[in-house]
Amino acid sequence: MDRRIAVIIPAYNEEKTIGSVVRGVKDLGNGYEVIVINDCSRDDTTRNAEAEGATVLELPVNLGIGGAVQTGLKYALASGFDACVQVDGDGQHPPHEIPKLIEPLFDNGLDMVVGSRFLGGTYRVPLMRALGIRVISLFLKITMGVSFRDTTSGFRALKGPAMEFFASCYPQDYPEPESLLLAYIKGFKVAEVAVEMNYREHGISSITPIHAVYYMTKVLLAMVIDLFREF
Amino acid sequence: MLHIRLFIGIIGIIFFVATFEFIRKRHLREEYAILWLFTSSIVAILSLWPGLINVLSKVTGLYYITAVLTIVFSFVIAVLMHYSIAISKIKEMNKELAQKCALLELRVRELERGEEPKDKMERATGLEPATSSLGSLHSTN
Repeated sequence: MDRRIAVIIPAYNEEKTIGSVVRGVKDLGNGYEVIVINDCSRDDTTRNAEAEGATVLELPVNLGIGGAVQTGLKYALASGFDACVQVDGDGQHPPHEIPKLIEPLFDNGLDMVVGSRFLGGTYRVPLMRALGIRVISLFLKITMGVSFRDTTSGFRALKGPAMEFFASCYPQDYPEPESLLLAYIKGFKVAEVAVEMNYREHGISSITPIHAVYYMTKVLLAMVIDLFREF
Repeated sequence: MLHIRLFIGIIGIIFFVATFEFIRKRHLREEYAILWLFTSSIVAILSLWPGLINVLSKVTGLYYITAVLTIVFSFVIAVLMHYSIAISKIKEMNKELAQKCALLELRVRELERGEEPKDKMERATGLEPATSSLGSLHSTN
């Protein structure tokens, strides 16, 4: 395989899990290069990632998930990678599932492939989160006429125009649902494929029930405004 | 009336002098300073020359305190809105700078280790590639 795939891993204080995630990607063989974006962690994230052979980009200030992923996209684009895949640094996304996202990009000529917990799986999410995912799903159905289930999945692969677009324009705070909408607005070919996901090994989700209302308000507002924007 | 007028006049003058000092010490950029110098001047002038208020009332038809308050309130809201926009812009610039900084720092580390820079990296960093690495292929580490 001559393709070069950038595996973009945004990481904030993930010293416990980052090593095994990087090792898992390395086990996939040649063609995959790991790019860890250390979002100003205060622990040994960088050292543990480099020890397993990852290339580490270190942000001097904490930008949050959107800014970190975008840094990886800029690097992947500038370094001439053919495609990239975003993987969480907390071990939630099993590296052995990465080829399931990459292959459809090239075999089916897609621009964006999102790994879904809900297609064919038995993955259970907390009630509030499940509700949020449903609401965003309904929003996409109404505005774009598409059926998409796992709207907050951060396990996703990009290539070509989608990679270029998101490197220059990527939502910052809660980027997953909004970037999905942008992909449809831009007319990219998007698909959702079934993948396994692990439950978090360490740490807690960045979205707690207390933040759920704020999250939904912010995401839906951003998505409504996006409908009136020029891209 | 005289006391309150004197009091407000003094506040206006202190405001004006403080603004001038902040600009002189470079704590405040001129573009924002214009706004505050203008505001403090108006406060000072109106309190020291109360007749002007009557003139303004006649010209504008604003006899009611609520109308004046509404105008002052709108002014404050407009200033705050301006700051929100300025902060958003600064945040965006800060993000771009942090990202470029991270990309450049990685490139510096690679160059120090004697590795060939990743091809087309100059597009991200805006730097010219070293002549020896022109057309070089990516090398995995």
